[in-house]
Amino acid sequence: MKHTKNWYLHLSILAFASLTLLPFYFVINNSFRSNTEMYHSFFGFPKTLEQLIVCSYKTIKGEKGTIVVNDEQEQISKTLTYKDAVKFYFDSVTRNYKSAWKVLRPYFLNTFLVVIATAFGVLVFGSVTAYILSRFKFPGNKVIFYYFISTMMFPAVLTLVPSFLLVKRLGLLNSRLALIIPAIAGGQVFAIFVFKSFFDGLPQDLFDSAKIDGAGHFSLYWNLILPLSKPVLSVVLIMNILGMWNSFLWPYIVNTDKKYHVIASGLFVLSQTEAAANFGLLYAAYITSSIPLLILFIYATKTFIQGMTSGAFKA
Amino acid sequence: MADKKDKPFISYKLRGALVCYSIIIIPILLLGLFTYLPVFWAFQKSFYDFEIGGISHFVGLSHYIEYFTTDPTTYISLVNMAFFTLFAVVVRLSLPLIVAKLIISIQSERWRHFYRILFLAPIVVPGVATMLIWGGMIYSSQGLINEFLRLIGLGNYTHAWLANPGTALIAVAMVGFPFIGGFEVLIYYAGLSGIPESVNEAALLEGCVGIRKFFLIDIPMVLSQLKLILILTVIAGIQGFEGLIILTSGGPGYRTTVPGLMMYFNAFSFQRFGYACAVGVILFVLIFTLTIINFKFFKSAEELQATK
Repeated sequence: MKHTKNWYLHLSILAFASLTLLPFYFVINNSFRSNTEMYHSFFGFPKTLEQLIVCSYKTIKGEKGTIVVNDEQEQISKTLTYKDAVKFYFDSVTRNYKSAWKVLRPYFLNTFLVVIATAFGVLVFGSVTAYILSRFKFPGNKVIFYYFISTMMFPAVLTLVPSFLLVKRLGLLNSRLALIIPAIAGGQVFAIFVFKSFFDGLPQDLFDSAKIDGAGHFSLYWNLILPLSKPVLSVVLIMNILGMWNSFLWPYIVNTDKKYHVIASGLFVLSQTEAAANFGLLYAAYITSSIPLLILFIYATKTFIQGMTSGAFKA
Repeated sequence: MADKKDKPFISYKLRGALVCYSIIIIPILLLGLFTYLPVFWAFQKSFYDFEIGGISHFVGLSHYIEYFTTDPTTYISLVNMAFFTLFAVVVRLSLPLIVAKLIISIQSERWRHFYRILFLAPIVVPGVATMLIWGGMIYSSQGLINEFLRLIGLGNYTHAWLANPGTALIAVAMVGFPFIGGFEVLIYYAGLSGIPESVNEAALLEGCVGIRKFFLIDIPMVLSQLKLILILTVIAGIQGFEGLIILTSGGPGYRTTVPGLMMYFNAFSFQRFGYACAVGVILFVLIFTLTIINFKFFKSAEELQATK
């Protein structure tokens, strides 16, 4: 009885899941194909990939023989041994990815630099400020906390245009700093909020005993606070990386120079150039741009889930 | 060098405070410069007419008056925004909740965990790429939907979904189908798993199971989660326009335009920065009012802290 019920549950969930993931399947599938092949049949399996598998299988089995291959690029047919055919098909399967990587490589570098610098700034400012606001009594303590937290009520739509004017006046247009500094300024708020509620929850005895042992404030922060706050720290870090990786509009507006595109803005710009006529290349670019976060997601699934839910509730 | 026997020049307490101030002054200034100043400018510059590098004129409230009287895009963009927002509210309050309920009904903890991860996984794809996939692969003339229609012999029903005035609006709203966001599923799942076992057992004893239990027990018990998603979806609906830059640029005509998009075009295409600031202020007032209403009518201050 219970078993049949579960069976229906699995089936309906999988139906929803496959509808959700279907577009991504076709993106991956068609990223291996040329436009001609796609126009011929949108839903087909990539021919080159199929041939690659067949020829590899035959090579491994040690079959001798030749195969006629169609070189779409040079518009000729040639006869190759299985071993050469493997190499030929491997090249055509990976062609879109190679071209995509050529375009995306500088954008990847920019994105990595911006993400790392921002995350570093946010973590340092966020944790230090939260530590001071949480553990020291001084005049203005509360006011300063509200000064930070109040900015959460200003939506991005209010500050987008004036922020652009500000960055322009500061002469930061077309630079990585235009992406990093405002992101640290804005990102530290959430970090302060999360860190402070964590620090507030730590027992005072912990600090007292450390002080009795002769720990100074810096060593207290470095040797006690930071190691303790590792789970919070990783949540803030992941949320920050996710936000920066996805941020499109701001980089698109402030950095029009190709040199400073990040992945998000670079993908959009790529989709508007002539290279975008090759759909396979675009799809390969989408897949490539998802790989770093995919690795991070697999590596830190738990933190992602924590971040998603703790960001929404009283953190 | 002060002699140790002397009274300190400033008291220890004050000195401690000064050290604190001097450390957190950098974050304070950063926030002042990059958040509070733009907020102030948004209001101030909405009263001025200027181009970058040009002279600015004080124009008083005329940008606001123009927006509500003569701007031909105002009405249609507000209507579109209301449509997109309502649509999003309906689908995001229902479908992910159903999926979360399905997941939590599964006996095996491992499968529950797996499914939650499965629905969360698409967040690794950059938002821009997702939009480009919808615009370029799903809705395009040789795209997924049209090819599927041809495959099943309904070739007559193919459309240029985003370019056709009759289908553009609904096509944009349908982006993200089937609307099972990993974030929403996680939130609802957390809410459902927070229902005390005693409540579930009492419901079972009373014979309240299946769909009846879902409506009578589960939904009232996850009200605060529903409210959270409601306010987040409304805020995103009012200020979201990034996707439209990628999908339609508000076209065809003004068929899919929204106020935020008009703000963007006024600033970055027409160089009317003052007017764009005014539109931004209007949207802020709208978001702020709705947030306050949500505060007042649904007392859930805690959830609101996430509405960044």
